Amino acid sequence: MTLDPPGREAAPASYADAEALFRAAYRDLIPAAYRLLGNRADTEDAAQNAFHKLMVAWPKKVGGLPADEQRAYLIKIVINEARQILRRPYRSREFPGVDAGDRASLSPSIEEKVQAKEELRLVWQAIGELPGARRDVVTLRAAGYEYEEIAAELDIHISTVRSHISNARKQLSRRAARDWEGEQQ
Amino acid sequence: MSHGRSADGTSQPDVLDWLYEEGRQRATRVPEFDVERTLSRARAALDAGAVSFWTVLNPAERAAFEATAQERTFPAGTALMREGERAGEVMVILDGWTKICVDEEGREAVVAERGPGDLVGEQGTAPGNVRSASVIALGAVRALVMTTAQYTAFTGEHPGLPDVVKRHTYDRLIGRPDRF
Repeated sequence: MTLDPPGREAAPASYADAEALFRAAYRDLIPAAYRLLGNRADTEDAAQNAFHKLMVAWPKKVGGLPADEQRAYLIKIVINEARQILRRPYRSREFPGVDAGDRASLSPSIEEKVQAKEELRLVWQAIGELPGARRDVVTLRAAGYEYEEIAAELDIHISTVRSHISNARKQLSRRAARDWEGEQQ
Repeated sequence: MSHGRSADGTSQPDVLDWLYEEGRQRATRVPEFDVERTLSRARAALDAGAVSFWTVLNPAERAAFEATAQERTFPAGTALMREGERAGEVMVILDGWTKICVDEEGREAVVAERGPGDLVGEQGTAPGNVRSASVIALGAVRALVMTTAQYTAFTGEHPGLPDVVKRHTYDRLIGRPDRF
């Protein structure tokens, strides 16, 4: 018995592979998202959205790739989802003094915390605007990964990781300088 | 920021070094997550149909759907379908918004929202399926309702339906006949 009526292109019979990939990579996906987001609810959202994106991209794009590239693709989906959450003006699950906390913890007052959060959001926006491969490398670096780990996760050479990070630093600091000047006018 | 030397050995730590340190600290306290929970919530969202169904139909397909389906109105707070019930119908929302929720140990978890143009309950087209999520009207909702048998016939009679409409094959492909 066929799953699809005759005359229609059969759906790829490999969604089970996509789910298997997700399960196998889950132990790596969750820390990647959590290290960026710092709270459970956002991490869960990022993981769910990543599964969804994987399913949508599977038949045409991902299913045919070699296993290493599939895994790297999935990592990229997850950190991309996390970055989208970090770029939101108001993160829905944050509670002042709890989740809003740890990245803004250097600032004592609430006002300063709010400002630190807003600055952080702009940093994530700037990171999101870096070219594709550089953006992925920098995002994993910002999650606290070492160069070798980034190379392994993204299936690229470590020298590529190095050069992306060094170039991104320059781009980001140029941009920060520009934004700062903009504020002064 | 006083995180000492840059992780790269460059003279001044910058925002990337700061994030890196933060990320490293968080790595030591990643809580436990459950892949089954993530998958079941993601599936419930997928089941609910993430792509606007109505807008991908061509005018002839839409007319055929309307000819077979029945229009029904659901007051705010009522259920279009309920988790755990046998799945007998699929619906296209015409007006209004719904929340898709699942029961997690007695607590309601909202996994998605669905509104005008969205198809809900398409997983019900596999025989004997049970709903994996509830669909609750947030305001008044107007929907076109088909039985699963009618919907199966509809997809069979319109072989040109785009991929998004065929997504209901996902659960059947991975052999989960007990799901919606």
